[in-house]
Amino acid sequence: MSTDIARMRNIGISAHIDSGKTTLTERILFYCKKIHKIHEVKGKDGVGATMDSMDLERERGITITSATTNVEWADHSINIIDTPGHVDFTIEVERSLRVLDSAILVLCSVGGVQSQTITVDRQLRRYNVPFIAFINKLDRVGANPFKVREQIADKLGHNAVLMQIPIGLESAFRGLVDLVTMKALYFDGPEGEDIRVEAIPAELAAEAAEKREEMLDAVSMHSDDLMEAVLEGRPTEELVRAAVRRGVVTRKLVPVFVGSAYRNKGIQPLLDAVVHYLPNPSEVENRAIDLDREGAERVLTDDASAKTVALAFKLEDGSYGQLTYIRIYQGSLRKGDELVNTRSGQKIKVGRLVRMHADTMAEIQEAGSGDIVALFGVECASGDTFCSPGLNLAMTAIYVPEPVISLAIEPVDKNASDRMAKALNRFTKEDPTFRTHVDPESNETIIQGMGELHLDVYVERMKREYRAEVKTGMPQVAYREAISQKVDFDYTHKKQTGGSGQYARIIGRLEPLGKGTYEFSNEVRGGRIPREFIPSCDKGFKAVMKKGQLIGFPVTGVRVVLTDGQYHPVDSSDIAFQTAAQGAFRQVYAMAKPQILEPIMKVSVEGPTEFAGNVFATISQRRGTIVSSVEDGTFSRVDAEVPLSEMFGYSMVLRSLTQGKAEFTMEFLKYGRVPPHIAELLMEQHLEKKKKESQK
Amino acid sequence: MTLTVKEELIKRSPLRILEKSISGGLGKGNIGVLASRKGVGKTACLVHIAADKLLQDKPIIHVSYASRVDHIITWYEDIFKEIAKKPKMKSTLDTFDELIRKRVIMNFKQDGARTEQVLRSLEAMIVHANFRAETVIVDGLDFAQAGPEDLRKFKDFAGRLGLEVWFSASLKKDDPLFDDRGIPFELKGYLDIVDVLISLQLHGDHVHFSLVKDHDRLAPKDLRLKLDPTTLLIAKDVRARAR
Ligand SMILES: Nc1nc2c(ncn2[C@@H]2O[C@H](COP(=O)(O)OP(=O)(O)O)[C@@H](O)[C@H]2O)c(=O)[nH]1
Repeated sequence: MSTDIARMRNIGISAHIDSGKTTLTERILFYCKKIHKIHEVKGKDGVGATMDSMDLERERGITITSATTNVEWADHSINIIDTPGHVDFTIEVERSLRVLDSAILVLCSVGGVQSQTITVDRQLRRYNVPFIAFINKLDRVGANPFKVREQIADKLGHNAVLMQIPIGLESAFRGLVDLVTMKALYFDGPEGEDIRVEAIPAELAAEAAEKREEMLDAVSMHSDDLMEAVLEGRPTEELVRAAVRRGVVTRKLVPVFVGSAYRNKGIQPLLDAVVHYLPNPSEVENRAIDLDREGAERVLTDDASAKTVALAFKLEDGSYGQLTYIRIYQGSLRKGDELVNTRSGQKIKVGRLVRMHADTMAEIQEAGSGDIVALFGVECASGDTFCSPGLNLAMTAIYVPEPVISLAIEPVDKNASDRMAKALNRFTKEDPTFRTHVDPESNETIIQGMGELHLDVYVERMKREYRAEVKTGMPQVAYREAISQKVDFDYTHKKQTGGSGQYARIIGRLEPLGKGTYEFSNEVRGGRIPREFIPSCDKGFKAVMKKGQLIGFPVTGVRVVLTDGQYHPVDSSDIAFQTAAQGAFRQVYAMAKPQILEPIMKVSVEGPTEFAGNVFATISQRRGTIVSSVEDGTFSRVDAEVPLSEMFGYSMVLRSLTQGKAEFTMEFLKYGRVPPHIAELLMEQHLEKKKKESQK
Repeated sequence: MTLTVKEELIKRSPLRILEKSISGGLGKGNIGVLASRKGVGKTACLVHIAADKLLQDKPIIHVSYASRVDHIITWYEDIFKEIAKKPKMKSTLDTFDELIRKRVIMNFKQDGARTEQVLRSLEAMIVHANFRAETVIVDGLDFAQAGPEDLRKFKDFAGRLGLEVWFSASLKKDDPLFDDRGIPFELKGYLDIVDVLISLQLHGDHVHFSLVKDHDRLAPKDLRLKLDPTTLLIAKDVRARAR
């Protein structure tokens, strides 16, 4: 049976590390009666939270995969898409954001808005995801939900409104006042499962009235009906809820809820809020790219009888075999249905269809538009779109950044080697920012990704999940080469060896390309180069640009303009023109003033103000540029741009410098020019390496 | 190519007029203050002063007491776009990226930040992080809350590190704001610490600059500058010349 779309929610839970996301998720699962005992995170009982299904995650206490878990609350079906917290795993974050319709932003009542809160907020903004906020850990010393609400307004620029106020704080935290119903809520029973509703304690009455007024003021901006009712002094719960909902769905309002996941307080009202205020899938517009119409966009309908469009967003090798998580955007999915993978053109038949709960799954017969389910035994890659036959759509392409770091890996023995191949095959399917290839010169297996931690995690997973033990080399920055000046070429490739010769002449120029990696433009007139050989030239340029002459890294940012040439009726061939293109490029490359580019990371360091000076110094020692520093009393954040090559081992340096009190996040920003003295060094190293290789 | 355009931009900047009027510039170890009511354009002027230094490849530190920094960043972008519009400045974006590397924004929460702490962080930036700025602009310091002692600390600091420091001061009292020599009543207690004091006043739809104190001289003088209402850049006041 498929669920009524209005009673469906696809939510993500986003947070800065350690805000209590895992704990909160665990509690949500518990209250929804899907699991029967609450486990602590980084489990004292050795079991760990249910969502963190992988050993590795448990050990590191971070959530890496985006498994989806289905729960039921108040007659609603809620799919919780676990969004990975660490910025290194950008693609997974982006992919889960694509799939969810709304989110809960979890903040710590002591830490408030932290660096990753800002990152996550930016991502929610980019994907236009409506959200509500939950201020957790009200039981902690220093808890101040009012200040955190202010930070959501000031630092993130949201119209944040408290929907509840706490009864007591820190160790005296006992319950909440719901500002909509104006009742006090207490959470009794060993696990907070019994909610006791009472009148607001007298000492809080004035504060509650004042905060309710503030709430109504902000909320009534989203409903004329409510505004009127407020003026008449009779706002009903329904009117308030409807107005909050409208504000949330249009991203103009962020209602703020409070509680303590750890102390089992405030979770059920948060679940009510998910049902009340977050949109159902039919309220979110989704678009797909029409592959038959040169990528024109098409708005999808949530009509269950329409043709099916679904996105495979996550692959998982579980104890049940291979699982493919998919979100249905249009139509429905039934056992036995035939679908086409629009990337590969392959047809598949829907076999077993399941809904995943935290640690169990339920077999289902069908699922409707808006739902998230999993398929068994489907061969595909993450990001593939499945359509009913006759439809050729792709869900909007997710931006895939180029990897910025690489690592040579070597299996310790033959067994490990086979298993490693299997693991790599799986990982590259799951994660398009994770890539692998064999270097033709050194014959080493190279893995590439978005950061040190990103690659570390995969190396660990190889060990644990595939028992593939590998040795790793030093991480290598993915440099690029680029030309900085226009240069003309006129090159003739001529070879006469007995019978058939080779002949091709090409004339044109190379130009630096501001944005983009490569462009080929054909301006040859009058058949000076026969049409069939133009693609050969293109191919030749592309091939030669894979390895630049400075340090052997790919050349990017080049526009090739082909203006003229010559051919020979017998001796010209595809290969001759390819060779000519390569020769031309090599001949003039140096004259185009090539430069070495390196990945520049956006780095954000947070910690107590007393260490700000030390942090400044570490950034400048690393050739970094400090963009800004923000000091808020005892807390400070430094935002900087630092070359990736200088960031190796930074976490250790930072830890020892600040007694572990500061932390940092980092994500790829752009490619920037390597300063001359370092470029020189890199070129020397490259020469040396080549010398060694030729001596082998 | 870009260089000469840049030199041209520097030479023709209306800020040269300002410098000429104040004996060649503010000068190391000195404190300059732009005073006006809220919303008249002090931040715009400070950013223009900073942008002018950046064009000359001189690093600057922008200290702000505002609650957010993203709008300051946008402000710089806008101002460079405006500056670059005048003559054709080639590859504006590249240049902007280069210029901006010489700017650090340091944001302090007003209530949380004591001047000692602000100066400590500034010193860390200049000395420990080796960010050799010679100009610091300070936007949004609440003079009434900080008091003359704090400004004195800034001045000592500027003297020790050889900095010139430009402040904005928001005038909040009721009219009249200025005495007959053009000195803002609210800033009288600071006068001996301030080396250059300029007031901004709204006349019709134009903002005029008058020089109230120029180092040792206390004589009000029209600076023949205005704030262009559309670009929010400091500009020559043509009408003033005609007068
Ligand atoms: N005092 C307190 N601690 C909490 C609360 N929620 C979570 N924690 C603790 O905070 C730490 C981080 O929580 P976790 O759920 O792993 O955070 P995540 O990194 O966001 O998933 C764990 O030690 C939790 O036990 C809370 O409400 N109060």
